[in-house]
Amino acid sequence: MAEYPTLLQTSLVATALKVLLWPAYRSTDFEVHRNWLALTHSLPLREWYHEKTSQWTLDYPPYFAYFEYTLSQLGRFADENMLHVSNLGYDSWNTIFFQRATVIVTEAVLIYALYLFIQSSPAASKKQSHAAAASILLSPGLLIIDHLHFQYNGFLYGILILSIVLARKKSGLLASGFVFAALLCLKHIYLYLAPAYFVYLLRGYCLGPRSIFDIRFGNCVKLGLGIGAVFALAFGPFVYYGQMEQVFSRLFPFSRGLCHAYWAPNVWALYSFCDRVLIYGKIATMKVPLKDGADLRLTAAPYLKLAIDRDAVNSVTRGLVGDTSFAVLPNISPRMTFILTLAAQIVSHPLKNAPRQQKLKPNIQTHQPALIKLFFTPTWHNFVSTLTLCGYASFLFGWHVHEKAILLVIIPFSLLALTDRRYLGAFRPLAVSGHVSLFPLLFTAMEGPIKVAYTVTWLVIVLLAFDWLAPASPQPRVFLLDRFALLYIAVAIPLMVYCSLVHQLVFGARYEFLPLMFVSTYSAIGVVGSWLGFLVVFFTS
Amino acid sequence: MAPPTPSSHRPRKRRKPDSSNGTVTLNKATKQEQPTFPLVAFLWPARTANVSQWIIIPIILMVAFLFRWCTSLWPYSGYQKPPMHGDFEAQRHWMELTIHLPMTHWYFHNLEWWGLDYPPLTAYHSWILGQIGHFVNPSWFALYLSQGMDDMDLKVFMRASAIVSEYLVYIPAAVLCVRQLAKLHNINAWESSIALTAILMQPATILIDHGHFQYNTVMLGFMLATTASMLAGRPLWSCVFFVATLGFKQMALFYAPAIAAYLAGSCLFPRLDTPRLFGIAIMTLASFAVLFLPLLLGTAFDTYRSVPLPTDAVLPPPPMSALPWQVAEKAWYYPYLVQLTQAVHRIFPFARGLFEDKVANIWCAVHSSGIHKLHGYDSTLLSRAALALTLASISPPCLLIFLKPRKELLPYAFATTAWGFFLCSYQVHEKNVLLPLLPMTLLLATEGGMKPATRAWVGYANILACWTMFPLLVRDELRIPYFVLTGLWAYLMGLPPCSISAYTASYEDGGLSIVSKLIQLSTYAGMVAWHVAEAFVTPPAEKPDLWVVANVCLGAAGFGICYLWCLWRLLQESGILSDLGLDKKSVNEKKAQ
Repeated sequence: MAEYPTLLQTSLVATALKVLLWPAYRSTDFEVHRNWLALTHSLPLREWYHEKTSQWTLDYPPYFAYFEYTLSQLGRFADENMLHVSNLGYDSWNTIFFQRATVIVTEAVLIYALYLFIQSSPAASKKQSHAAAASILLSPGLLIIDHLHFQYNGFLYGILILSIVLARKKSGLLASGFVFAALLCLKHIYLYLAPAYFVYLLRGYCLGPRSIFDIRFGNCVKLGLGIGAVFALAFGPFVYYGQMEQVFSRLFPFSRGLCHAYWAPNVWALYSFCDRVLIYGKIATMKVPLKDGADLRLTAAPYLKLAIDRDAVNSVTRGLVGDTSFAVLPNISPRMTFILTLAAQIVSHPLKNAPRQQKLKPNIQTHQPALIKLFFTPTWHNFVSTLTLCGYASFLFGWHVHEKAILLVIIPFSLLALTDRRYLGAFRPLAVSGHVSLFPLLFTAMEGPIKVAYTVTWLVIVLLAFDWLAPASPQPRVFLLDRFALLYIAVAIPLMVYCSLVHQLVFGARYEFLPLMFVSTYSAIGVVGSWLGFLVVFFTS
Repeated sequence: MAPPTPSSHRPRKRRKPDSSNGTVTLNKATKQEQPTFPLVAFLWPARTANVSQWIIIPIILMVAFLFRWCTSLWPYSGYQKPPMHGDFEAQRHWMELTIHLPMTHWYFHNLEWWGLDYPPLTAYHSWILGQIGHFVNPSWFALYLSQGMDDMDLKVFMRASAIVSEYLVYIPAAVLCVRQLAKLHNINAWESSIALTAILMQPATILIDHGHFQYNTVMLGFMLATTASMLAGRPLWSCVFFVATLGFKQMALFYAPAIAAYLAGSCLFPRLDTPRLFGIAIMTLASFAVLFLPLLLGTAFDTYRSVPLPTDAVLPPPPMSALPWQVAEKAWYYPYLVQLTQAVHRIFPFARGLFEDKVANIWCAVHSSGIHKLHGYDSTLLSRAALALTLASISPPCLLIFLKPRKELLPYAFATTAWGFFLCSYQVHEKNVLLPLLPMTLLLATEGGMKPATRAWVGYANILACWTMFPLLVRDELRIPYFVLTGLWAYLMGLPPCSISAYTASYEDGGLSIVSKLIQLSTYAGMVAWHVAEAFVTPPAEKPDLWVVANVCLGAAGFGICYLWCLWRLLQESGILSDLGLDKKSVNEKKAQ
């Protein structure tokens, strides 16, 4: 039986809205991608990773560069001028229409992947899969990041979901591995999910189902050769030119701080927030002058007890955004993260991540418990759960995390949220906090109503629909958690009102960091809460 | 995965909604119900889960808001087009002049730069918005200095003001009106929600108000409120709302004869109801008095302060000279009369041409197609001809609604009268097509309104109307929103050019007759061909306006057919035919027009 509205119907209406968004605000990422179009089109391959006319150098892996090259071949017909490297900041109407249109067209991959996802799900959960697919298709995260801010996440997550869906059948495991390898060569942020793939393919494809000592050499060779070929195709030319060091220095820039400028809602945002509160606490109780000598006047503070001399506040914010030094709490150093990682392994929960020097690798340690569970019971459900946990860990503890990376958690989790009501309970705060945390990406007056109205509409529809569709869970739920989630969701409303209206009316342009900090801290609580909830559900079921 | 256990929460199906209205079809192959057109599919989950109206309506309103606001992102009329700019500048300028000038100057201020030529409610509306805007950023409405401004924040403010005005007037009125229609026609809440969505997503209204920039929805909203009050059996309220409609935009006169005929008829038939008649008369007069009261109070204040009129004011205003008696300048009521007559003079500019620009009505079609050039005629003769033809076109519907003042007939009567005005009257803009479209689109919320026949006709009028506004929208650089919104609506309603499913139903199953199918499909083919031609073929040098003229002629013909269809449906529904002994068979034959 078909479910209505069908994916095709939904995507057509969504496309109408997305086309209407063409003249809307676009971030510098638009210029980034235009520059990549230009440089892949007009320069030979060997100069791609050396070109630096624009400050937005190519810092995605080669497949994405090939992808841009393909687009640029079509772009010639839209506007030749956008393909000149020296034409910095070029944004004619045709350029905008062309680039925006490519985002919409390449999203077809996502629609196709979601279609396959519904097709591959068992008849009993077709309805649920359909709802999950529609929720991903209409995700406000994708709308905000792709169609306003400007990126190609719809396309990339489409490939990810394609790979996840292929992994559902034994026969598709090999293809799934290849697709994921290709995805890694499109955007390396997906390395965060690689441990789950590694374990799942190792156990499910390379080792026999009976015993882990039943090694299937034929499969190992096939997988190894295939993935090797995918990578060779991507990096081969650059190895040939002897540019690998240059390519890697572009892909993994090391000079960034612990927190991204906007404070992605992770553990470090909470940590920074505690630090901030402690600073004010100290000042309020001890009335000491701050380190840099700025005299802190505790004003009458009619609105917030935190209203303090602007210089001092700015110095504190700068410290947080830049090289991440904390005023009261200890700074985060590689040694501490190491100790925390050890501690996390002792309590056997995924906890700590990323000493500064090895940004991406340590995930393998951090997810051990979940990965071990996946290793011993390599079901598709456990695989997607582990992917979600990998996403969570990297987002929560990673070094210099973008708020956009929340999709790495939300999208795999959406595929699971309707498993039963306990999963839904963990999903709800994530759905709210993850999308609210994206709001600071759009700060222009014209786009404000779009992000709020779209997200609220999506949340209302998705939370209600999921509520109707989620089957009861075999295990009893923790009702207190549900109450907490409800309270948490309710708090979002005054928070949004404050951040979008009240703050500006009361303070004008002053204390601009306050709404950002509130959104980030609020969202961090939600993400951490949903992570804990998901851990409980995953390890008890 | 655990199997779904519905017992864990409240039952999903309370009662099976009755789907008589053409929204649900039974698939003959699978024996399963399926949505007839895509819009139904989008509300399908609400049907099976029986969701509360308190959830559905807000979701519909938010989706409608999103599409409106996204249309607002696009350029408006006159954006960066000096010297005169466009309707956006007109509306902004009215805010500027109402907040800065004394009230007595409002209707006297420089006509050349978008002088105020709308009735007082628009002026008050502009004043309120101007005050709010002035509070936010005084430079937006600085007297004289702000003219032709195209600041981005100003655009946000103006766009927001259009949406807020719409959500305060049009949207609640639409919800109420659809609810009243549902009550009258016994339609379930789910199908009403579908109709409401279709009405709110009408592309023409969104494109003109939120793309081109005007406040038509305020006027149309008051009209919906008028209709809703009539349907609810509250004629006095309908008088108040209709005066508000007229007080916002004089174009609402398109509806006035039908409204007067209905109200008069409802006092006379089935028997004379004198208290009601007097009530209606008094209420209307009182509403007009309230409408002009602020203007008169402002005049009193200015007279008290002895504020002189602008130096270039022409006194007395022409309508005053036409008064049968001589008014002494010393008379105490002289300044008030000057204001009232000047307002009337501005609102009804009889000195303008027969038609403005290119509009798909009879006059423009006859003139520009070359059948008969009209500029050789005396303008009084032409305006008399227009008056005569308009009267001829509106008297049948008005007579019918007067003799049979039944609520079911109201949308037909309004639509027919408005089509008559649009096609035949004097001084019509292409945007005025919104007036006949509104009551016609309301038909979706009536019994059988979403069955193929009615849906196809309503869709035909809507899509044709958008198409006739295409040249206007191209000037505003709204080509893409035009294609997106019109295409989306056609798709949602399952209509050409996206689908021909409405044309495959046989006449017995509530489909169209063969002739109607031919007319509509050939018009659609013409529209598509026109778009292709307009995009790829340059018109010959001696006929540069060829495509526009073709648009006008096809549009006028199509609207003429819409007029005839509405009139025919009115005739059918009124029961006059059976009264006169015309049986069903002849009805079928005539249906083919």
